[in-house]
Amino acid sequence: MLRSPNSVSKEKFWLLIGLTIFLHSLLLYRFFQLQILDYDLYKQRANSNRIRATSIPAPRGLIRDRNGKIIVDNYPTYVLFGIPGEIVNKSRNFSVISKATGIDTSYLSINYKNNYRSKFLPAKLAKDLTISQLSRLEENKNDLTGIIYKQYPERIFNPKIRASHVLGYLKETNQEFPSTISNKSDYQFGDLIGWSGLERHYESILRGRKGVSYFQVDAYGREVGSIDGQLNILPTPGNDIITTLDLEIQELLESKLKDKKGAGIVSNPKTGEVLAYVSSPDYPPDLFTGLISTKDWEFVITDIDKPLLDRVANGTYPPGSIYKMIVAIELLERKLVNEEWEVFCPGYYEFYDRTFKCWNEIGHGKVNLKKAITESCDVFFYQAIQKVEIDNLSERSKIFYHGEQTNIDLPSEMKGRVPNYKYMNKKHGKWGWSKGAMLNLSIGQGELLVTPLQIALYTNILATRSETFPLHLVKNEYKKINRIKIRNSTWELIEKSMRNVVSGSKGTGRRADPKIKGLIISGKTGTAQNPHGEPHAWFIGYGTKSNDSISIVIMLENGGHGGEVAAPIARSIFSKYFETDFKIAKK
Amino acid sequence: MFIEIWQKIKSSPIIILIPVIFLVSLGMLSLYSIVMVQEQAPPNAFSKQSFFLIPSFIMLVTMTILSKRLIHKYIYVFYVLVIFAVLLPFFGDKVSGTYRWINFGLPFDLQPSEISKWIIVLVLARYLSDNNLKMNHFNSNIFPFIIALVPTIIVLNQPDLGTAFVMMAPIIPMLYWVGARPFHLFLLVAPLLSIISAFNVAVFYFWAFSLALIIYASKPKLVHGIGLYFSNIFLGLIFPLVWNSLRPYQQNRVLTFINPEIDPLGAGYHIIQSKTALGSGGLFGKGWGQGTQTHLKFLPVQESDFIVSAIGEEFGFIVLFLMISLFLWFIFKILRLALNASDRFSGLTLIGLSSIFMAHIFVNSAMASGLMPVKGLPLPFISYGGSFLVSSFMMLGLILNFGREDVY
Repeated sequence: MLRSPNSVSKEKFWLLIGLTIFLHSLLLYRFFQLQILDYDLYKQRANSNRIRATSIPAPRGLIRDRNGKIIVDNYPTYVLFGIPGEIVNKSRNFSVISKATGIDTSYLSINYKNNYRSKFLPAKLAKDLTISQLSRLEENKNDLTGIIYKQYPERIFNPKIRASHVLGYLKETNQEFPSTISNKSDYQFGDLIGWSGLERHYESILRGRKGVSYFQVDAYGREVGSIDGQLNILPTPGNDIITTLDLEIQELLESKLKDKKGAGIVSNPKTGEVLAYVSSPDYPPDLFTGLISTKDWEFVITDIDKPLLDRVANGTYPPGSIYKMIVAIELLERKLVNEEWEVFCPGYYEFYDRTFKCWNEIGHGKVNLKKAITESCDVFFYQAIQKVEIDNLSERSKIFYHGEQTNIDLPSEMKGRVPNYKYMNKKHGKWGWSKGAMLNLSIGQGELLVTPLQIALYTNILATRSETFPLHLVKNEYKKINRIKIRNSTWELIEKSMRNVVSGSKGTGRRADPKIKGLIISGKTGTAQNPHGEPHAWFIGYGTKSNDSISIVIMLENGGHGGEVAAPIARSIFSKYFETDFKIAKK
Repeated sequence: MFIEIWQKIKSSPIIILIPVIFLVSLGMLSLYSIVMVQEQAPPNAFSKQSFFLIPSFIMLVTMTILSKRLIHKYIYVFYVLVIFAVLLPFFGDKVSGTYRWINFGLPFDLQPSEISKWIIVLVLARYLSDNNLKMNHFNSNIFPFIIALVPTIIVLNQPDLGTAFVMMAPIIPMLYWVGARPFHLFLLVAPLLSIISAFNVAVFYFWAFSLALIIYASKPKLVHGIGLYFSNIFLGLIFPLVWNSLRPYQQNRVLTFINPEIDPLGAGYHIIQSKTALGSGGLFGKGWGQGTQTHLKFLPVQESDFIVSAIGEEFGFIVLFLMISLFLWFIFKILRLALNASDRFSGLTLIGLSSIFMAHIFVNSAMASGLMPVKGLPLPFISYGGSFLVSSFMMLGLILNFGREDVY
């Protein structure tokens, strides 16, 4: 019936009113909570929703040679990224990319998987894209939601030289960092970091500071313009470094050591500046930039000639006869022998029941110290060493940086080995070795191991009576090395002997002399026996002409006789450096 | 005759139109911002909504002047028609995975379940006012409940969880209005609570304990008490089986409500983005047309389900406060009219209609602010949606009509 009475108690009415107020208040409180109490949180969340900040990589500083010529430069390449959370259809996107650029979809998928970090961080898909590949991608931009690209400066190298072990390479950071890096938080996943060589040692100078670019994106991750009042932070490029290397000397030395195994260092004995630094075989310096294929990598890794090994600083070899100057200095300084002391060399020496051969089987006849160095007579040293205490010799060697780090401005360097009494006992047992081991040591054989780098510093010390600076590759302030206290007469004898090695009619290093007027060259050859086959060939030497001098160390692994194979290489360097044209170019 | 109509309109409580005009304006302002900033060409949400204001106004006047006697007389017939109407979409094509809309060849689709909401209210009002039921008996509640349940179950299968919820919303307040015992009403709701509490073991224990207390306090017959208790517990226990029969998207909605962070780009994404839009608006908002979350399309279904967030982002808490106040005024007004209605049919109808509005307001805002699971329910007078706008104005017409001091 339409007219049934509407008799309702006020209580019911107020209860419904109360319920209504309660529900509306609940809503209001919720709005208050979100918009007033949690405003900052949601404001920030809203901005991170729409603002995409990407870093702009800073161009690394250039690496130049001593004359300012560029050795390592930058050029722009493009890197493709995918933002996982914004990619709508991954397989479709990849096939579009593949069609436009010719990059295999499986390659993209693998990179995507490996570089995936989180839903909203870009994962690297491919690098080294060319402009034309990029423009084809641009045409398909509407099909490529969540795919972005960035420009990256990449390293490009002077084609004349390789110097791969000196320059080093860059690597993308992940969790690993070189121990030299202190500010790890400055690096993001995928940033390039100097991983070896100068790139690593001078990382903080070369690197520069990354910039940030901000832009607004919509819910589909598409760029929709820049953000008002939010300026991009421009990257600060890294600083250039000027090395002490000389492009032309380096080039020449590389060509001389090509297809050989070995090491070569050319330096200025007065300043310690390294003009050329070659370890052979090497690898193309751009091997680690761009897309290194697994095949190339396998090839480099498994090559038995170990092209990745820096033989200059990290290869250790017996020094052979180039060690004899240290023995001679020990003999003279402790007055164990004098200049006149002679032995007779029949080409061999019998020590108890063992026969030690001289390298010259017909013998040197009567030999004094000077002749022993000039003609590299072993028998002289076999006999003289018996007057020497092993620990004294060991200490003397260390003063000349044998078994000591040279502290060159490179990230890694081997120490080598100089045996002493303790070491010999430990290795052979107290009664397991005798003076016989000393005989080997006297000609730089046996337990003794050095790096070519140590020998370079040793050569500079001999060239300057220890008035030299540490070896270095980048110009800077350096402190002179500790002066070695030796009598002048000793220095003179050593110098005279070494000059005779090159200029004497019977000197073993005659082939190192380019015979340039006014150029005086001193040196020493070495032929180090070793269990791996042919002996290692050494030549060390320094040449001076009108107050300008360079020192050279050449070591050829299993190369044969130092005087025959190493000295001629030194000659070509001396010849190049001291020729008139080059002098002009140098200034 | 026109004078008679004018008299009718004049004697209607037209003051209730004031909050409605403000609310409609706010909605249009927000829709305009969305279509203009995002450069949507007409027909867009704004132009369509403007167009639908015309039939809305016509239906408002029609429902205002329609004879209450006629409505009362034929409402049962309409009830049967409405049941057919909500069944109709099942014979048409699926639209975005549901059978909610019917296409009559018009440029827009119709959603018959919108009309069914208030038809149910009228049917219940007539049934409860025609029969002088002994409301303190529990059994008297059962038939009204079934009246609402039949179309609801059909709508639930369309599937449209939100509308189904709204359709059931008026029944409790209406039964209460007509004199049902709160304990009985509690028993009607109890099964639902049993089901919901079955989500969590601890909550279910708590519920089982409270249920026992309430039944004990109400002192029913021992057999009834035990029966009620255990049937509820049983329902809760078999719920996992029922759960499996739900559609995956319904399951997902419930699940993401429990933890929206599970899948930021899935269903929980809606809630997160909506909260972000709302919260980032702050006290005064970002300004008209300046809502970054809205216009960069981070905010989903921004014209209808999440329009509150769009308003909150651009106009801030101040305007949301005003909006809620307007709604509160609107509901107060209807309840006041219900209290003062001369007959029970009118009073009950007004209570039912206010419940429908209340359910829409609460569910929509609670959902947009992350208080409730995502259910597709629009905000009255504000959200974009033709069928719902027309339906809301028809309800408004009924309110004007039934709130009138009739002179017979």
